[in-house]
Amino acid sequence: MITQMHVKGLMFDPYNNAYIVVLRDEEHSDMLPIWVGKSEAGAISMSLENVTPPRPMTHDFMMSFLDAFNAKVISVVITDLSEHTYFSKIHLMYEDSEYTVDARPSDAIALALRSNAPVFANNSVITKQSSEELEQWLENLKPEDFGKLDS
Amino acid sequence: MDTVDQPNEQSLVEYRVDRILEEANTDTRIVVLARQDGVLDTFPIWVGAAEGNAIKLALDTMITPRPMSHDLIKSFAEHLNITIQRVVITDVKSSTYYATVHVANKGLERTIDSRPSDAIALALRAPCPIYITQDVLKRRSTTNLDAWLAKLESKDIGAPEVQET
Repeated sequence: MITQMHVKGLMFDPYNNAYIVVLRDEEHSDMLPIWVGKSEAGAISMSLENVTPPRPMTHDFMMSFLDAFNAKVISVVITDLSEHTYFSKIHLMYEDSEYTVDARPSDAIALALRSNAPVFANNSVITKQSSEELEQWLENLKPEDFGKLDS
Repeated sequence: MDTVDQPNEQSLVEYRVDRILEEANTDTRIVVLARQDGVLDTFPIWVGAAEGNAIKLALDTMITPRPMSHDLIKSFAEHLNITIQRVVITDVKSSTYYATVHVANKGLERTIDSRPSDAIALALRAPCPIYITQDVLKRRSTTNLDAWLAKLESKDIGAPEVQET
C-alpha cells in the first residue's frame, strides 16, 4: 500500500547542519521527514519557491535530458527506510513502456516537483516513522540520534 | 570513441579533467581541464563546491552507497538506451561558461543546454569526450584566474599543485 504525500517544506537541522524535507499526507495525519544535504535542499527549495535560475541547475538539466526524448516522470515512491537511509524509485514513461529507476529521495523529490508528478510513500515507511513518534523524537533530540544524511 | 561528426560546429579541441582544486576561502572548486592533442594547455573552470564534488567523485572513481544526481542521469540514459556522445564547452559570457551535452537514441540526436559542471560530471560517468570550441579557447577569460592567483600569492598559501595553472 502506498499513500500520496505532499512536500510541505524544508526545515533546517542545526545539529547536523542539514535540511529536513517534510512530507505530509492529504489528511495531515502522517508526516515523513527526510534528511538531505545542503545542495539537495537547494534543488528542492528552488522548485517549491518557483525560482528560475539563470542557468539550468542539475535537476533542471535532468528534466531537459528526459524531455529531449519525451520521457515523462509518472510518479516517485519512497520505498524503504533502512538504517536511517530512505530509498526511493522514480517511475518513467518512455515510448509506451514504464521504467523504474533507483534514486535518492532528494533527487526523486526534486524531479517530481519539476515535473508535477505525485510523490508516494510506502505505508511501511510511514509506519516506521509515524508523526507521533516524530514529535517525541524531536523533543528528545540528541545529535547522535541522527542517521546518515541523504548524500 | 567513434569519430566525431561536427558538421555545423566550430572546430573542437578535446580536453580531459586533470584535477580539481579547492578554493577554501570562497567555497568554490576549480576544475582544471588539460588539452589532449599534445599542445600544452590547461583550462580552469570555477564551479560551486557541490558541483566540484560531483566531478571529483567521478574523477576518483568513487562508488557512493546511493546514486548521486549524475549517477541518476546516467541511470536514466542506461534504462532508456540513450547514448551520451560528447559534451562541449560552447560559449563564455561575462566569465560564465556555457556547455552542451550531445545525446542520441535510435538515430535521433539532441543537444541539451547545460552548465559545464553538470556536463563534465556526466562526461566522466558516461564516459564520453569533453571538447572546447576554438572560439571559446580564443575568448577564454583569464580575469578570474589572475585574480585568484593574486589572492593566493598575497595570502602566501603554498599550494604547489596550482603553480602550473
